This record gives sequence, C-alpha cells and structure tokens, in this order.
Amino acid sequence: MSTTPIIEVDDLVKVYGRGEKSTRAVDGITFGVESGTLFGLLGPNGAGKTTTIRILATLLEATHGSARVAGIDVAAEPHEVRKRLGLALQTAALDAFSTGRETLELAGRMHRLPRAEIKRRADELLELMSLSHVASKLTGTYSGGMKRRLDLASALMHQPPLLILDEPTEGLDPQSRTALWEELERISDSGTTILLTTHYMEEADRLCDRLAIIDNGKIVVEGSPGELKHGIGEDTVVLEIAEPDNDGTLELVRNRLEGLLPADAVAAHPAGVSLSVANAGRAIPGVLRRLDGDSLEITGLHMSHPSLDDVFLRYTGRRIREEEADAYITMGWY
Amino acid sequence: MSALAYETWYLGRRTTMRFLRVPANWISIIAFPLIQLLVFSQLYQEIIRLPGFASETSYLAYLAPGQVVFAAFLAVAWSGFGLLVEYRTGYMDKLRAMPTRRWSILSGEMVPVFFQAAAMAGIILIVSVLLGATIVTGVPGFLLILVLAGMFGLSLAGVSFIPALLTRSEQATSTFSLLLFPVVFMSTAFVPVELMPDWMQTVNEWNPISKLIEAIRSIMNVGYDWELIGQAVISMAIIGIILQAGTLWAFGRLSR
Repeated sequence: MSTTPIIEVDDLVKVYGRGEKSTRAVDGITFGVESGTLFGLLGPNGAGKTTTIRILATLLEATHGSARVAGIDVAAEPHEVRKRLGLALQTAALDAFSTGRETLELAGRMHRLPRAEIKRRADELLELMSLSHVASKLTGTYSGGMKRRLDLASALMHQPPLLILDEPTEGLDPQSRTALWEELERISDSGTTILLTTHYMEEADRLCDRLAIIDNGKIVVEGSPGELKHGIGEDTVVLEIAEPDNDGTLELVRNRLEGLLPADAVAAHPAGVSLSVANAGRAIPGVLRRLDGDSLEITGLHMSHPSLDDVFLRYTGRRIREEEADAYITMGWY
Repeated sequence: MSALAYETWYLGRRTTMRFLRVPANWISIIAFPLIQLLVFSQLYQEIIRLPGFASETSYLAYLAPGQVVFAAFLAVAWSGFGLLVEYRTGYMDKLRAMPTRRWSILSGEMVPVFFQAAAMAGIILIVSVLLGATIVTGVPGFLLILVLAGMFGLSLAGVSFIPALLTRSEQATSTFSLLLFPVVFMSTAFVPVELMPDWMQTVNEWNPISKLIEAIRSIMNVGYDWELIGQAVISMAIIGIILQAGTLWAFGRLSR
C-alpha cells in the first residue's frame, strides 16, 4: 500500500459509566480509511457509530485504543486534528440566531482564514449549496434541507482534507436527501475524504466506496457494498406456478432442471418454486426453456439480488429497523 | 492569550447578537424593575416619613438604585441559558471540534454578560432620571454605576451558569434563579436596614446585593462614598471568584 490511510482506528474502546451500570458503546473497533475515499459506518441506532466518530472528532476521549487523523493522534494533539477536519452532526447544529453568512464567517474566523478568503469562500459555498438567497436570514428560519446544506458548508469553509458526517440525511424528505447525496458525491470527487455514519441501506449502497457494518460496538464485516453483497451469495428467482401441487411440482421442476441446477438450489415457495442462482439474468432463459411444457403453467416470475439489508441480516441476525427504546432522554434532570 | 482574546471577541459578538435578536430577552429583563420603579415609587411615596428614610428626598430617589441592581440581577439570572441550549442542540460540539480553545467558548458567553448587565442597568438608570431621580455625581457617576453593574453581572453569572451546566435542564436552571429572588427582596432595595427585623439586618451585613445598592445610592444621592464603593467591589470580587471557579469546574466537567 503506497497511500497512507487518513484515518487509522486501532482497537478503540469506549465505556460509559462505571461498575455494573457501565456500557461498552464501542468494543474494540479497528479500521482504516484511505485518503480520498468515502467510507461509511452502517449500523442501527445505538450501535456505536456516533461514539466512534465523536472520538475521531476529538469530542470524546476513548477508554482504550487509539485513533489517528492524518497520522496525528486525536488524544495527544486534538488541536492539530481539529484544523484538519470538518464536522457536521446528526441534527444540523446551528445557532438559530445567526444568519447563514454569519455562520460561515464564524467558522472561517475560528479556522483563522484571512478576511478576504472568508468572504470569498462564504460566497462560493452559499452559491454552491443554493443558499445565496437566504444568506442574510437567521438559520432558525431555514428548512431541514437548508440547515443540512449550511452545516455542510460551514464544515467545508477551511477546505479540510477530511469531512466527518453523522447521519447526514437523517430526517430529510426524499428530494432533499437525493440533492444532498449528489452534493456529497461532488465533494468526494473533488478529493475530500468523507467518513459518514448512516442507518439507511440505500445511502450506504449508493455513496460508500467502502463500509463497515457496526453492531453492538463491534465491526461485524467490512468491504465495498458490492463485495459485501456478493459475499453472501446468490440471486433468487421465484417462479409463480398455477395450481402448484407442492411436492409434485417441486419434484417436476427439479427433474427438468437436472444438470442445470443442483436439486438443493430449488426450493418450495408459497407461489410456486424459488431458485438460487449465481446470476439471475443469465440463468433465467435456460431455466424457462427447460421448464416450458404442458404440465407446468408458469404465470409469473420475479428475481432479486442480495441487498445490504440481506448482508446486515446475515451478519447480525436481525433487520436494521428493529430498534429498541433505549435512546437517552436529554430533557430534565439526569 | 491573544488566541483567547481573538476567539472571545468573535464568539462574544455572536452571543451578543443572539441576545439582542430576541426582544423578549431584554424586554423581560427591563419590564420587572421598570414596573416596580413606576408603581412602587407612587404606591409607597409617603413611606419616607418613616425614621429610616430620614435623609431621603423622595421614595423614587431611594428606590431607583435598587431597581438598577435588580435589572443587572435579572440580566444575570438566565445568562447560562444560551450555553445550555447550544450544548443541547450540538452547536457547542461544533465549536469544540473547531480549532477553538475550550475556554474561549465559555468566555464568549461570559464577557457579554458584563455588557448586558451594564446596559440593562443603564436603561433603568436613565428611566429613573427621566422620572425625577438625580445622579449628583453626574456623567462620571453614571458611568461608574454602569461599570459596577457590569462587574456585578460577571461576578454573579455563576448562579445561572453553574446550575445550567450541572443539571443541563432549563427548568432546573430557571427554578434555581427564582430561589435567588428573596436575596434581592431582602436587600436594601425597598426599605432601609433600620426598618428590617433583626435577623434580616444580620443577613444584610453579608448580602453583596445590599452592598452594591448602597454604593450606587451614594453615587446617585450623596456623592462618592469610597468606603461603600470599596465594600461593594470587594464583596463582588469574593463572590465572583467563588462562582467563577465553580463555573470553570462545571464547564470543564461538561466538555470533557
């Protein structure tokens, strides 16, 4: 490997609380992110994604293990790490009583950009994020999508080599989400490394070059979306058959497909039979030629490729949407 | 140090705009002392016949310094709210993830409190003068009162910041502020110490709010009484050091 990873996380552990009440939010996570790629941490709420990126963003100290950004240890030199990263958090964190332009200018000031540079970058980013017309309005009046775009713009003011985004499209309507995805793809194409967390399969699938699935504070599997999907196997083809006579039909199909598919690739299905094949598109013509005959009436056909949902199910034993009521309540005394 | 000053300047400018852009912030601070000033100066105008008021020309003249301090007190009472809200929304995290000194975030909230308390006190002071109160020491006295009110704001800010940072709850913070109201009511804002029951007289020997009111009263009605002013400054310094230390500790705990 000639390129050094911009993020190196080594056996990271974060324990909240002490004694019996303690929880291991992050339980020995190790991963690296190559410069210029878009890396996703995918997992359900409470899996440890946010804790991991809070440690990387110098907001939280790890209990054990180390994390480096551009070769700099986040615990030893947080100030140096902060100069190199842009951060956008789960719910676009903005000062409701600042205007869009003021928000960007403050970010520029804190990063010590020269005055002229601040003005130029702010104009450029407001234009890029289609916020020029609301630049002098208070951010409290912005829509959800506008807040996200401004938050992203403020993270980009100092042109950081690394952008860390926590659930960048959470709570956005589909249209704003697609627009933000396009924006992230553009930023990624310009060479900025992006680390994001998500619990949307579609988002991970579309955006990420590589992703790590996190569950219960551990990485259960890591790879490109394609690799992960191929890794769990095969396409499924369901043939709908008129009046299926369970055993008889299954037996008939197996006989006719002998030599083409092994018997155990053919299974009963409520609507007819299902077939497991390496490549559905290629297998279907041959299958249909063999099955065509008077004793079987095929009334329909559908096929499916493995999705990241299936990958998640395979490695964690559950669907990502099975959530638990264990979020922290942040109102009142605690 | 220059980094701290630089960051405090820009962060403080932001918190000041945040304060000014919500009229409810300053209206709610001004309204209460203003009402007390207008209503009580009329309602109790005959009270100065009582012995403790011997040297006073009008109850308005007696009441005004107390309401000036009351305005500064109210400016402080909810001063920790902004930081609390930004901790909750995550904006504070955003600032912390920038190359910003952690203490700049706190001083960007604290330093404006000086100016807010001074400005609020100044408005009540001007209204008092318009109603007929006098400042015998003139413009220098007026400015000195603003500085004292600002110092009072800084020294007492901890009564809002500490509960805000420790409980992280708006309700708890505002309830705690309410508990401090009796300290103001028991001060010499409304009646001289001679008319109070013995135990309250003892309390007032130690009440920094009374010290400040007496100092301002001398500046307005009599002339500079450096002993009273000195006592006010020293008591504010002592309380300020204790509360600021508590605030620094609570903030450090929050942002660790």
